[in-house]
Amino acid sequence: MDLEMKNIFKSFGANLVLDDVSFSLSGGQIKALLGENGAGKSTLMNILGGVLGADGGKILIDGSEVSFSSPKESLDMKIAFIHQELNLINDLPIYENLFIGREIRKKSGFLDHEKMISETRRVFDEMALSLDPEVMVRDLDASYKQIVEISRAMLMDARIVIMDEPTTSLTENEIERVFALMRHLKSMGVGIIFISHKLNEVMEICDSYAVLRDGHMIREGKINETDTRTLASLMVGHEVVEGLRAESHDNGKIIMEAEHLTDSKHFKDISFNIREGEIVGFTGLLGDGRSELFQSIFGASLPYSGSLRIDGNEERIHSTQQAVRLGIGYVPRNRKENGIVKDLDILSNGSLVTLSMRKKGLFLDEAAIESDFANAKEKLSIKMGEDSDPITSLSGGNQQKVVLAKWLSAKPRILILDNPTQGVDVGAKEEIYQIITSLAESGVAIAVLSSESKEIIRVCSRCYVMYHGRILKELRGDELNEKTIMQYATGVVE
Amino acid sequence: MEKRVEKFNFISWFRNMWVTHPLFSTFCALVLMIILQTVALGFDQGSFSRWFSIWSRNWINILRNNATIGIISLGMTFVIITGGIDLAVGSTLVAIGAIVMVFIDSSATGLLSAIGITGAPAFIIGIIMGLIAGLILGEFTGILITIGKLPPFIATLGMMKICRSVTQQCMQTVNPQVPRSFTQIANLSIGGQMFMPIIYWLLIAFIMYWISKHTAFGRHVFAVGSNERASRLSGINTERVKRAVYAIMGLLVGCAAVLQVSRIGAMDYANAGSGYEMDAIAAVIVGGTSMAGGRGSISGTILGVLIIAVMNNLLNLIGVPPFLREAFKGFIVIAAVLLQKKEKA
Repeated sequence: MDLEMKNIFKSFGANLVLDDVSFSLSGGQIKALLGENGAGKSTLMNILGGVLGADGGKILIDGSEVSFSSPKESLDMKIAFIHQELNLINDLPIYENLFIGREIRKKSGFLDHEKMISETRRVFDEMALSLDPEVMVRDLDASYKQIVEISRAMLMDARIVIMDEPTTSLTENEIERVFALMRHLKSMGVGIIFISHKLNEVMEICDSYAVLRDGHMIREGKINETDTRTLASLMVGHEVVEGLRAESHDNGKIIMEAEHLTDSKHFKDISFNIREGEIVGFTGLLGDGRSELFQSIFGASLPYSGSLRIDGNEERIHSTQQAVRLGIGYVPRNRKENGIVKDLDILSNGSLVTLSMRKKGLFLDEAAIESDFANAKEKLSIKMGEDSDPITSLSGGNQQKVVLAKWLSAKPRILILDNPTQGVDVGAKEEIYQIITSLAESGVAIAVLSSESKEIIRVCSRCYVMYHGRILKELRGDELNEKTIMQYATGVVE
Repeated sequence: MEKRVEKFNFISWFRNMWVTHPLFSTFCALVLMIILQTVALGFDQGSFSRWFSIWSRNWINILRNNATIGIISLGMTFVIITGGIDLAVGSTLVAIGAIVMVFIDSSATGLLSAIGITGAPAFIIGIIMGLIAGLILGEFTGILITIGKLPPFIATLGMMKICRSVTQQCMQTVNPQVPRSFTQIANLSIGGQMFMPIIYWLLIAFIMYWISKHTAFGRHVFAVGSNERASRLSGINTERVKRAVYAIMGLLVGCAAVLQVSRIGAMDYANAGSGYEMDAIAAVIVGGTSMAGGRGSISGTILGVLIIAVMNNLLNLIGVPPFLREAFKGFIVIAAVLLQKKEKA
């Protein structure tokens, strides 16, 4: 089945989001749709998925014009949109999730479970999957959830599948599993649109690409005629200049030192130190315990045993407010759930940490709060409208900078950054790395938690690799390369 | 400097306000109701000053009768903004009222009069004890919710049952009398009008407004209600915020109880305050506060209390049968939230 989107226009109010965009895809092809946040990718795909209507242009399937005004009508044309946030119900088994809303009934009106299960088996066989349809979705790992979503599309006989950043929350092994399935679908003649920020994955899995920037289609082409550097500069509009990694600080004062930290289930016998002005990485695969470790250190999680010294003083942190008083800052992973407060405006989000420190008598010192934020805004070059605009009006990268801004105003001496560039586009990513580096230069001790080894190599002067809740190895200097990191992260080398 | 004078276009201004300000439609509804109410009251009094004195007397009555609910609604606003709810307010009002009455009773049965304290000192002690009782009850509810990790609905449902039932049992044999002078707190007449409850209400509303806008605690209330996890990870003591919100609720119920005892001069332990929780929640919701937490305002709640109060008055004036009035209240709640919903297309 061939798809063609021709001369699509779309605006929100006065804001032209898609300006004469054309896009095509043929069956049995995997095409990457690239662009920074706000480039118009989601809008274009939402039009294809029937979520939004276009202001102009047409959509052709196999040469004949179609139009749809709801996701259901789009699905009837065999186009399936798999959103980044999966639409699965954890407390139902796989097969019921597959048939939700279109349950097969017996004549009596009751559900025909046998038939639904056997239909699910048929689809799984077609896709060469060995999954038990009766397993609860809750018990599946992230990649299988993704796969269940794809199976649902296949059950509806979809010929075009849109996948919006399917690999964001997956580990390397899980990504491989999803990729294998994508290749299988391709061999069945299904066309796939793959939206991702991870250019290495794009190079690995896609046949062709299309780059959107500021609502314009910049270039379409074949993957084997390009490279990641070219793609990145096409997306950003200029060359992405990579700054230098921070120098190592072997003689700085040790600010945070942990010995034998152990909790009941996530981490065991953890010892590490971070020096003044140093950026130390903590990496590993999903489930290695690094996030839980630092949540505990920040006082937000379960208690632990072992010793933690801040500036040489033994500290036991029971609450997040105590951690803040000790000069620790913490930018958590999953910005939407843990980082931003969606009902508050930009200024309130950016001053959440320091509110209780900026007082004039009983009341808030609003002038001080505003000037704090104005400083941070300038330092981080946050692109935003008014202070009173909702935080959700910002792009992912700028939201992340606001989360950083709230900590900068507190002037932390130790900063924990968990997945600092999650859901942030290429250009903003590099900006955040430079911010991290310059913070370290001003003397802040920084822990960067990330499963992207590239990120660790880019910003850290040394790193601890974790595996199943333990630190397997400390890497520095030449050892700090993707291959070595991966060997320890996967537990290949003990 | 060239100054462009744009012609003021009422219709486009109105449409813009209607779409962008969720409370604007509520405000319009209030204005409409006030107009209807004024019409229902009648103009045919011959002289303007006589008409005005009747009109203003009617308004003072409306506000005075709703001061208790008004004060409770202010506390309820904070509770609902944190994503919680307090079903116990009607029952704690009775419990606190009983405590206050036992202290202020100047007859032989009174707790203080038995040791020779009567009059103003007894009143002050009684009021303070009432407010402390409110704080303690609220703080206890807050502890059940934060440390006990109970859903607010469950915790306050339990408190609602406990407070009324225990009060009724305890007060079976005791029958405290409210001294006439105590009723002056609410019924003091200034220039022939009884303003006092309105003044208390406005004063508390003003304080609550300031807390919500200009203190760190006030902003934390919104933050916790919108995203508790992110707030905690920003170093906010979210449990303390929630406990404080219920404690403030208790304190305000204490104020409302003192006012109620003083205004009526007696208390019906079985029925007083029953349904107040729903009336307060209704006012808060009509005032645009989100049940999901994170969004709301004190000014909206005042609007909500007024809209329900004026509607009741209007129904009364045009002679709608009393049984039907609750239906109108229900209608107002549903209509208000439907009107405010338009922001999310």
